[in-house]
Parts: sequence; structure tokens; C-alpha cells
Amino acid sequence: MGNFFDFIIEHLAQFLQFTAFANMTVGHLIMICIGLAFIYLAIAKEFEPMLLIPIGFGILVGNVAFAPGYQIGVYESGSVLNYLYFGVLQGIYPPLIFLGIGAMTDFSALISNPKLILIGAAAQLGIFGAYCLALALGFSPTEAGAIGIIGGADGPTAIFLSSKLAPDLMGAIAIAAYSYMALVPVIQPPVMKLLTTPKERLIRMKPPRAVSKTEKVIFAIAGMLLTTFIVPSGLPLLGMLFFGNLLKESGVTKRLADTAKGPMIDIVTILIGLTVGASTQATTFLTMKSIGIFALGAASFVVATFGGVMFVKIINLFLKEGNKMNPLIGNAGVSAVPDSARVSQVVGLEYDKTNHLLMHAMGPNVAGVIGSAVAAGILLSFLA
Amino acid sequence: MQRRIKHFLSGIAVLLLIVASTNVASAQNAGDLKINEILVLNDSNTVDDFGKHTAWIEIFNSAYNTVNIGGCYLTDDLSNPTKYWIPTGDPTTKIPSRCYMVFWADNHPTRGIFHLNFDLDGAKTIALFNADGRTLIDKVEIPLENKPDITYGRPTNDSEQWVYLEKSTPGANNDYTKKKSAGESFVEFDPYGIGMTMIAMFVVFSALAILFVIYKNMGRFFIRRSVSAQKPATSEVKVAAKHSEEEMSGEVNAAIAMALYLYQNELHDFENTVLTINKVSRNYSPWSSKIYTLRKLPR
Repeated sequence: MGNFFDFIIEHLAQFLQFTAFANMTVGHLIMICIGLAFIYLAIAKEFEPMLLIPIGFGILVGNVAFAPGYQIGVYESGSVLNYLYFGVLQGIYPPLIFLGIGAMTDFSALISNPKLILIGAAAQLGIFGAYCLALALGFSPTEAGAIGIIGGADGPTAIFLSSKLAPDLMGAIAIAAYSYMALVPVIQPPVMKLLTTPKERLIRMKPPRAVSKTEKVIFAIAGMLLTTFIVPSGLPLLGMLFFGNLLKESGVTKRLADTAKGPMIDIVTILIGLTVGASTQATTFLTMKSIGIFALGAASFVVATFGGVMFVKIINLFLKEGNKMNPLIGNAGVSAVPDSARVSQVVGLEYDKTNHLLMHAMGPNVAGVIGSAVAAGILLSFLA
Repeated sequence: MQRRIKHFLSGIAVLLLIVASTNVASAQNAGDLKINEILVLNDSNTVDDFGKHTAWIEIFNSAYNTVNIGGCYLTDDLSNPTKYWIPTGDPTTKIPSRCYMVFWADNHPTRGIFHLNFDLDGAKTIALFNADGRTLIDKVEIPLENKPDITYGRPTNDSEQWVYLEKSTPGANNDYTKKKSAGESFVEFDPYGIGMTMIAMFVVFSALAILFVIYKNMGRFFIRRSVSAQKPATSEVKVAAKHSEEEMSGEVNAAIAMALYLYQNELHDFENTVLTINKVSRNYSPWSSKIYTLRKLPR
């Protein structure tokens, strides 16, 4: 009988060794708190809930401590999470998300006023500003490139590039990119107000003209060919973006476009959010590098906003009265679609209740998506 | 219309034929295979799986996908291109991307598929032929003087030049020197990232500037076309159009769209929490009537 009780106690003790309580560290607790904070921000404050809920919950999933060797964790070969994470590691999910983004993006604002495209290029300064800072802080060139892309304010692009250049930092980079995208309404307005004069904020822009279907179809095809001929390494992202847009604009593939911008992008968003969140295991995530990445990410958003707004101000020097652009749309050059365009609208309305900048800001906003994908291609071709 | 489609399809067919004729049939991108390194006199170099020192030939898959060498031919005699047929259907004949495979030139084909039916004593050429037995994939002229255990090969994977190598590397890259990564080389000349910023911003601007130029001109073309299409309109229609344009500017449309969007979003959020139970006005239904569920009385 005594032997039997010993057997029971021994196995209970053994079982306890497998529980998360026995394997938990302070790091895991910190990460769980971060995950809960993400979920809180998403539900209570409605900051990018589509992204922060999957990522926040993924952080919880990834930080339930377990005894290694049982094919549980995201980094353990053969585990279910590891299979799902394959799409992140191999850069499969980001192009699929770009397909959906293409299918839901209307490039009319850009086509009707093509000079807005250039704002999307200027705002990419954030990427290279962060790259320079990261190099100065002692990050390796590939790490600096991957960190820099946070400034593009484009989650899928950040994941795509970091999976190629610095897979070890991908979790931190993705979390930083999505966090700052959610915080665009907090980060950008002070920079916009600081760089503009009251008179500039009141500039009214010409209403965009109606764009024909033919123009939109040509844009999807010509846009893909031109950008990828210049930067072929951006092909997975740009190819899918413009392909999705062609599905939408052709008008004859409605079902495909609906799938791309509906169920498919939703499924991929769930998978990418959950697995990126789960990849932030305390053991790999809580390092000084991660803190550095977060600091650089914030700086990159500020530099990107600076680049966009200042570019509009410079261009305005050469434009005739009546054709000038409102510098408050400069911030929309970062590709956080449509949040940064909404920021332009909200800040613009603060100064003139009848000056709606949303349509104008959507131009640089979608140009920013193209610009950040091109920038990612350049970094990939130089550093990979 | 049908005629046009026929012309279009026949055009594609011709194009495909032209493309097909320029690409000779291959086993599986076997054209990407290269003879990479050879050892003619093996005194104390690598031993084969039978523990013997024999001559060997290394093949390199320069493609970025797996290539199956099965079905191809190796020979030391160009007049007999099908001298050794590499068996098909064997998983071991697949060469992964940018990897290597070694064949033992020992004239002992019974020892396995990687043992050839010729050796390199006195051989002048080694050639690799495609599965059709006619198409030459790669060949190498063996130098007359060969030192024992010194291999002859390409100094780097992509080199066309052949030299005696300082170190034999069967089944591995011939270039074993330490290499800097692309990023390290870049940063060596650009430690602060200024050069990268300048180049990259220039490229991003160029790419988007080209789009800008094209769309600016295309926009002009489409505006001109739409203006010419509107010309026949009567003055009354013009006035009406002008009025409606003034009344509904783009900004107004944007504001309405945004208001509707916000309204619908809010409505949706509230709707989720509302549960409405209304009494159904029609109480009777034959489906719930007991009369229909009872058996009729026997007469």
C-alpha cells in the first residue's frame, strides 16, 4: 500500500514538473502582461483590433511555459504552431495579405492626382533614418535593414523583410511595427502640427477628378511592371498587390476579388497575427535588442512623418496658388492604410471643419504601400 | 470576333513553338548541372564507399531548385555520349539546389549507381549529356599532366575557368575562403548608412517618379478624351452638370462616405448587444397540432 502511495506522489510530482507553473519565469509573466495590454488596447481603445487581438493572444499562447521536447512551442519542429509559423518564416503570408490589400485598395485618388505618389516615396525616409540609427547603435547591417523597415509602417512588409534578413528579430520587429501602426493617431499629430504653420493647415486642395475603369486597369498592370522592373526583389509583394488590384478593377473577377479581400485576407491575418505573437517567447524576445528595436521603431515613424510633411512643404514652393497641397497629408505617406490618412483628416478638421483631407490623403497612403515594398526590395537586394 | 480569337490563339501557338524549339528537352533543368571538380590520380585522397582510392568527378547543381541527374549520361568519349547512363527512379540522384554529387570513375559499375563504367586513366575529356543522349550539358578537357591527389576544377561555383585546386573538396564548394556577406561588404564602405539612404531614396523616388510621369500624361489623355466625348452635350445639360458638380464636390462626397461608414460601424457595435424577442402573431400551425399526430379511429 505504501509503495502505491509513493508511486502516486512520485507521478504527481513528475506531472507538476510539466505544468507551466513549474517552468514559468519572470520573463514569461512580463510577456503575458504585454499580451494582455495588447488585448486591452484592442478591445477597450479599439487600436487596430484586427491585428492586436491575434497578436496579443498569440503572445499569451507563446508564453505559456512548457517543458521542452514535446512538440508544443512555435520553435519546436513538428509542432502545430511550428507548421503555422512556417508561413511567416518563409515569407508566405505577407504576399497573400498584399493580395488582399490590392483587392480592397482604390487607387483612384492616386491616379487622379499623380503628384501624390511622390509623397509616398518621401515618407520612406523613416526606413533609412532608422537603418542609419540602428547601424550607429551597433546592429549588424542585415539587422539594421530589418529594423529600418518598421519605418515603412507596413506589418506584412516588415515581416517579409525581417524573415529574410534577420529571422531572430522578426518577433520584435513585427510587434514594434504593428504597435506603432496602432499608435499612428498618437505619434503623428504632434509632428504634423510642429512642422506646419496655421496658414498651411488651411490649404484647400482641388477635388479629385473621376477616374475611368480603363485608367485603373492600366495602373494595376503598368504599376506592377514598372516597379518590379526597377526592383525585382520586391516582386512577391508588389506582384501580389497589383494582381489583387487588377482582380478588383477588371470588374470581371468579382468572386476572386471578394475572396482575396474577404475570407482569404482574414484567414491569413489570423494566422500571421497568432504565430507572430506566439513567436515572442520570453526566452527569445526579452533582450536588450528588442528594447532597442522598439526605440528605433518609434524614431522611424517620427522621421517618416517628418519626411512626408516636409516634402509637401518643399513641393508647395514650386506649385502655383490654387494647386498647392495641404502639408497635413504628408504624414499619410507612411503605408499604415487607412489610419494615417484618417489622421490627416482628423487633424485637418481641427483647423477647418469643412476641409476634408481624407480623399487627398488616401493617395500618398496607397503610394506609401508601393514605396515601402520598393524600399524592402532595395534592402533585400543590397543586404541579403 | 471569332476570327480575331483564332488569330490570337494561333499567334500564341506559334510563340510557344518558337520558345519550345529554343529550349531543348531536358531531364529536369539538367542544363543547370555543371562538372565542377575532378581528380584523376587518387593516391591518398578521399576513399569511396568501398574504401578504395579511385578517380572521381564532382557535379554541381547551379540551379535554385532540386535537379534530378537520373537519365543523363556521363562519358569520357565524345563519340560515345551514352557511355554511362545514370539510372532513373532513384531518389539519391536528386541534387538539391546549389549542392554537389560525386561519381567514382573506377570502371566498377556493379558497385552502385555512382560508380561509372570507365576510369580516367588516359581519358582526355569528361562530358555530361542530357537524357536525349545528344545534347551536351557540360564538358571538361582533362589536362595531360596530373599530379597525384591534386584536383582540377572551377575555383568558384560560377567560374568558367579551370585550375588546379590547392585543396580537394569532393561534395563541397571549391571556394572555401571566408566570405563577407553582402551586408558586411556594403557597410564596410558605408558604415553610417548615408550611402544606402541616398541610393535607396533615389531608387524609390525614381520608381514612383516614373509612375508619376506616366500617370500625369495618361491623366491628361483621358481628360481630353472625356472632354471631347462631352462636346455634343446641349447647353442645358452642361448647365445642369455644372450645377450638380458644384453641389456635390469631392469633399462633400468624402464627408458623406465617412459619416456613413462611421454610422454603420457604430450601429453594428450596438446591434450586437440588443436581443429582441417579439411574440409571433400567428399561434396556430398544423405542424404543432395534436390532431394530425393522432391515429384516426378505426371504423
